[in-house]
Amino acid sequence: MSRSSSTTRARAAYRWVDERTGLTELVHKGLYEAVPEQGGWAYTLGSATLVLILLQLFTGIFLLLDYVPSVTQAWSSLNYLRTDDPFGAWVRGLHLWGAYTLILVIGLHALRTFLSASYKRPRELNWMSGVILFFLVLGLAATGAMLPWDNAAYWTATVITNILHYVPFIGDGLRQLWRGGTFVGPITLTRTFAIHIWVLPFLLFTFIGGHIYLLRRHGEFGAWVNYDTSTDNPSREVAERIRSAEPPYPTKRIERRYAAPNKTVDFFPNQLFKDTLVSAVLILFIFVMGLAGGAPLDTIANPATLTYVPTPEWFYLPLDQFLVLTPQNPLIAIGVLVIVGGGAAAMFLLPVLDRSPERRPTRRPEILVPAIFVIFAVIFLATLGVNRLYSL
Amino acid sequence: MTLNPIPGDLLTNGVLVAIVVLLHIQIAAFLIGATTLAIVSEAIGMARRSGDERHDRLGHGLLKAEIYLFSTGAAVAIFFMIIILGAIWGRFFVALQQITFWVFFAEALTFVAEVVLIYTLYANWNRLRVHRPARLGMLFILNLAQWWQMFFIDVVASFMLSPNGGDTNFLNQILNPTEIPLTIHRTVGNIAWAGAAVAFVAAFRYWRLTRNVEHVTGSQPSLKPARSVGALAVQGVVAEPVEMREARYWDWVAQWGAMWAVGVTLLQPWLGYSYAKEIQLHEYPAWFTMMFGDLSNVFLVQITLLGAIFTIGSAYFWRRMRASGAAHYRRQGFLALLLLLVTVFAAQPAWFAFTYADVVAAHLARPFWDGGLLNPFGDFIPYKVSALIAMVFLGLWSLTIYLRSVSREQMRPGLIGRRSQALLLGLGVVVSVMMIVMGVIRENSRQPYLISGELTIHNQQIINSQPSDVGGSTG
Repeated sequence: MSRSSSTTRARAAYRWVDERTGLTELVHKGLYEAVPEQGGWAYTLGSATLVLILLQLFTGIFLLLDYVPSVTQAWSSLNYLRTDDPFGAWVRGLHLWGAYTLILVIGLHALRTFLSASYKRPRELNWMSGVILFFLVLGLAATGAMLPWDNAAYWTATVITNILHYVPFIGDGLRQLWRGGTFVGPITLTRTFAIHIWVLPFLLFTFIGGHIYLLRRHGEFGAWVNYDTSTDNPSREVAERIRSAEPPYPTKRIERRYAAPNKTVDFFPNQLFKDTLVSAVLILFIFVMGLAGGAPLDTIANPATLTYVPTPEWFYLPLDQFLVLTPQNPLIAIGVLVIVGGGAAAMFLLPVLDRSPERRPTRRPEILVPAIFVIFAVIFLATLGVNRLYSL
Repeated sequence: MTLNPIPGDLLTNGVLVAIVVLLHIQIAAFLIGATTLAIVSEAIGMARRSGDERHDRLGHGLLKAEIYLFSTGAAVAIFFMIIILGAIWGRFFVALQQITFWVFFAEALTFVAEVVLIYTLYANWNRLRVHRPARLGMLFILNLAQWWQMFFIDVVASFMLSPNGGDTNFLNQILNPTEIPLTIHRTVGNIAWAGAAVAFVAAFRYWRLTRNVEHVTGSQPSLKPARSVGALAVQGVVAEPVEMREARYWDWVAQWGAMWAVGVTLLQPWLGYSYAKEIQLHEYPAWFTMMFGDLSNVFLVQITLLGAIFTIGSAYFWRRMRASGAAHYRRQGFLALLLLLVTVFAAQPAWFAFTYADVVAAHLARPFWDGGLLNPFGDFIPYKVSALIAMVFLGLWSLTIYLRSVSREQMRPGLIGRRSQALLLGLGVVVSVMMIVMGVIRENSRQPYLISGELTIHNQQIINSQPSDVGGSTG
C-alpha cells in the first residue's frame, strides 16, 4: 500500500469522525480565539491549575490501585509503597507535591484575578465558580491528609471534624455524621475516603466545566493595562477597537471601554506556548520533588498517644494559628464562624460587594486595603505558626 | 584611694534610665520609620510618570529631619551607655555585655553603615535627583542598616524578658521566643510613629501658615475671618500664591502622615496580641503582671490610647472629607463616633479596684449584680479582645472610606480648617505617649528581674552607691 493511499484513508476516516462530531470546528474554536496580548504570562496560572488537577487525578488513580481504605490496612498499604515499591512511592510523592503546588498556583491565580479586577461584570460567575473550586481543592487537600491513617492523619481528622462542632444548633450532628460516631474511627476513614475520591472530584469537575465555559463566553479580561487608550480621542479609539474586535470580544454587558482589549493575539500558538511552558516547569518541579522529597508517612495512628504533637499542613497553618490565638469559650465560635466564615463568604461574594467600574487597584482602595490587611494577617499567622511549631 | 558614692538610689536611678531610654527610643524609632516613609514617598514619586514634586520634597524633608535627630539620638545613646549604664548600673551592664557581646558588636557595625549612608544621602540629595533609582536604592540600604540595628537591640531587650532558660548561646539569644514578635511589632510601630510625627509637624506648619493668611485679611474688615486658605481662595481674597501653595503642601503632608499612622496601627493589635501570646507561653509571670497584676490597668490605658489613635484619625478624616465635600463624609463621622464609643468601652475599668488581685482579696471577684466588682462583659481577656476587634474593623472601614475619596480625587488640599489641625497634634502626642506606656509595661512586667528568672535587680546592687577602696592596701 502506497503512502499516499494510506494518507487518503486516514483523511477519510478523520472526515467521517469530523462529520459526526464537529471535531475540526471544536478544535478551531478552542485554539483560535483572541486573548489580550499584554500580560500573557500572568494568564498561564489558570491553565496550570487545570493541568495540575489532571495530574492529581492520574496519580490518584494509580494510588487507588494499592490503597485500602480501612483503619487496619490503610497505613500498611502505603507503608508497602514506601518500603517495597519505589515507583509507587514516587507516585505518592507526585500526588503530595502536586497538591502542594496546586494550592499555591490556584491561590496565585485567584490573587491575579483579584488584583486585575477580572471578577467584575459580566464575569461575576467566573469568580464565584473559581472560589468554589478553590475551596473544593482545599477540601480535597484536607480529606486527602486524613487517608494515610498515620498519627498526622488521625489528628488532622480529629481537628477538622471537630471544627464542625462550632456550627450553631447542628454542629454536633454534623460532626457525628462525618465521624460516624462520637469519636474518629473506622467509619470516619471510609466516609472521608468517599468524600475524597467521589464527592469532591465530582463537584470539582462539574465546576471546572462551568468555569471554562464562562471563560470562553466572556473572554479573558486580562488587566486594566490592556484597555489603556493612547490617542487624543479615547472614545473614537474604543469605538474602533470594538468594531474590529475578534471573537470572543467585544464582551457584552460591560463598560464600553473594557469591551475589547487594545491588542490581542491568538490563543494558539502565542498563549498556548506560554501555558505549556509554565505547566511543564511546574510538572518538572513536582517530578523532582516527588523523587527528592517523597511523601512522609508517620507511625501508624495511635489515638491513645500522649506525646504526639499534631502539626497541620502548611496551607492550614494560618487557620490553625488563628484558632490557637483565639481565646476559648465563648469567643472561639466567633473566631471559627464569624471571622473565618465571614471571610470566606466575603471572598465568594466579592463581585456583589465591589460593583464599581474601576479596574485599577489604586482606584479601588475600598477593596484593596481590606484585602491587603487579610493577606498580611494570613502571612503573619503562618509565620507565627511556624515559629510555634518549630521553635524558630 | 577611696571612691565617693554616686548619689541616687534604686528609684531615682531607675527613673533616670526610663527617661533617657524612652527619649532614645522615640528618636531611634522615628529615624527607622522616617526612612521607610521616605522610601515609599520616593517610590510613589518615581512611579508617577508626570513627576511629583511633593514626594521629592517630602523625602528630602524626612531625611533632613533624620539628620537633625540622628545627632541628638546618638548623643542620648552615648549618655545612656556611659553615664547611666556604665556609672550607675555598672555591674549589670558588664554582665549584659558578657552575655550579649556579639549582638552589641553587630549593633555597632550597623551604625557605621548608617552614618556613611545618611550623610551621603543628605549631602547629595539634589544631585541624585537625576539618578532617582540610585537614591531610592541608597535609602533602602540605609533603612536596612537601621532595621538591623533595631533587630539586634531587640535581641537584647527580648532576651531580658524571655531568656529561654538562660542559655546564653548566640543563636539562642537571637531566636528567643519574643524576639520575632517584638521586632515585627516595632517595625510597624516605627512607621506609625514616623507618620504621626510627620502629621504633627505638618499640622503645625499648616496652622501657622493659615494664621499668617488670616492676618493678611485683617486689612479687609468687611470680611469674616476665613477658616482656611482654601476658603480664602474661594472668596478670591488670597492673592499670595506662595503661601497658598505652601499650605496646600503641608495639608497634603499632614494627611499623608495621618494615613500611615492610622493605617499601619491597624496591624498593631494583631502583632501586639501575638507578642503577648508568646510572653504568656514562655514568661507567664510577666504576662500575668501585665494582664492581671499590677500593670493590668496600665495595659487598659494602652488599649484606650489605641482607640484614641483610631478615633482621632477617623475624626480628622471626617473633617477633611467634609471640608472637601467628599462623598460619604457623614459615614466617616458616624465611624468616628462609633470608635469613640468603643474606646470608652475599652477605657472603662474591668473592675473597680486597682488590680484583679485586690478584687480577689476583697472576695469581690464576681459580677456586680451579685455584689462583686467585675463588669458585665465577662472576664478580662474576652472583654479587651472584643474592644480590639471592633476597633480594628471600624478603623479599617474608616481608612478605606477616606482612601476611596482620595483615589476618586474628591479631596482638595488646603480646604480643611485650622482647628482640625488640633486633631493631628493630638494624634502625635497620643502615639508618643503610647510608646512610652508600652515601654513602661514591658520593662516593668518582669520585675524584680532584669533578666527574667536569672538576674534580679536586688543582686545587681548599685556598686557605686557605697564608698569603696581600689588598689588594695597602701602598706
